[in-house]
Amino acid sequence: MAEKKRRRMSTKTKIQLTVFLIVYITVGIINVQYLPKSPSDVLGNVANRWIVGNGPWFLQINPMTIIMSLVVIAIIVLFARAVHKEYSLVPNRKQAFAESVMDFVYDIVQSSIPDERFAKSTFKIATTLFLYIAVANLLGGFVPGISVDVTKTIGANGEIIRNAKFMLFSDTWFAPTADLNTNLTYAIMVLVISHYFGIKAKGFKAWLKSFVEPLPFLLPLNIIGELAKPISHSMRLFGNITGGGVLVLALSYFVKYMFLPPLLWGYFGIFSGLIQAFVFSTLTIAYISAQVG
Amino acid sequence: MDQETMKILADAIVVAGKAVGAGFCMGIGAIGPGIGEGNIGAHALDSIARQPELANVITTRMLIADAIAETTGIYSLLIAFLILFAL
Repeated sequence: MAEKKRRRMSTKTKIQLTVFLIVYITVGIINVQYLPKSPSDVLGNVANRWIVGNGPWFLQINPMTIIMSLVVIAIIVLFARAVHKEYSLVPNRKQAFAESVMDFVYDIVQSSIPDERFAKSTFKIATTLFLYIAVANLLGGFVPGISVDVTKTIGANGEIIRNAKFMLFSDTWFAPTADLNTNLTYAIMVLVISHYFGIKAKGFKAWLKSFVEPLPFLLPLNIIGELAKPISHSMRLFGNITGGGVLVLALSYFVKYMFLPPLLWGYFGIFSGLIQAFVFSTLTIAYISAQVG
Repeated sequence: MDQETMKILADAIVVAGKAVGAGFCMGIGAIGPGIGEGNIGAHALDSIARQPELANVITTRMLIADAIAETTGIYSLLIAFLILFAL
């Protein structure tokens, strides 16, 4: 019985692998046909972003970040609905996966924040961040799809002209976490929430006093230390995902999308992406617990 | 030397400076994270050898510490890319 089951699983895996290889080799051949010939054409536009709108910074938007954020949200919501539809006391595979993720995060939260009032909110924040960043990194790390190639030229009057060109299967999806705006928003949100919880837990006077804690003349150092938290918090994620994306693009281009990219996607998407998502949510818990405790 | 040659020379010097700067940035910036991650891995293996039943916990913590020690190396990678492509 067990042997039969194993054999059936292996044929299913074989079919999946065959389909994957056929799609992969087809995409590789198409890319060899249509890729630009010189590497500087591919890598010259790496640091350019597709930006819509003129004027001050709050009137400019990055359409790719918004589109990919909506895709990530849609994936998470669809998964949540699929779990909710078959919700039962005896969990099936999806529900067991969701429960184990939440259990994993809740154990970390409970061991570092003993207070039950803050533990529940912290758990919600940390799990939300973990799920969003993990799905975004997986999408940006190992699923080839539509990417945007932007050329930036400076016009006659000194204005910046951006031309966006859409390319199919030449690069992985743009991860929303590869944009510093996304990461900095979450990091500042975590900073504000941690100080709000700190005021709530210790009282306003004790919170103010914590800035002059060891000695009064260390006040500027404490303030700089607090402000450095969101910067390093967001830059770590941004650098990892952007650097991984650029490395995948460059190395995949040099081998013309043959045989090496799946390994790179495996490393930068699954391993590095999940670890960075885990580190981001763990640091969130650590910052909140440092203010609350 | 006429004007045209001067311009070509200036461009060549800029490209050479970018390449040298990016190479130094990445090379020197990789020393610190390399030493740090080596230390983390060595001590994690030490502690696993001492207490093999804690291997799961130690491996998780080791990966977090690795990711944090890697940060400065990632910064220098980012700056190398900025020098090469955005400057």
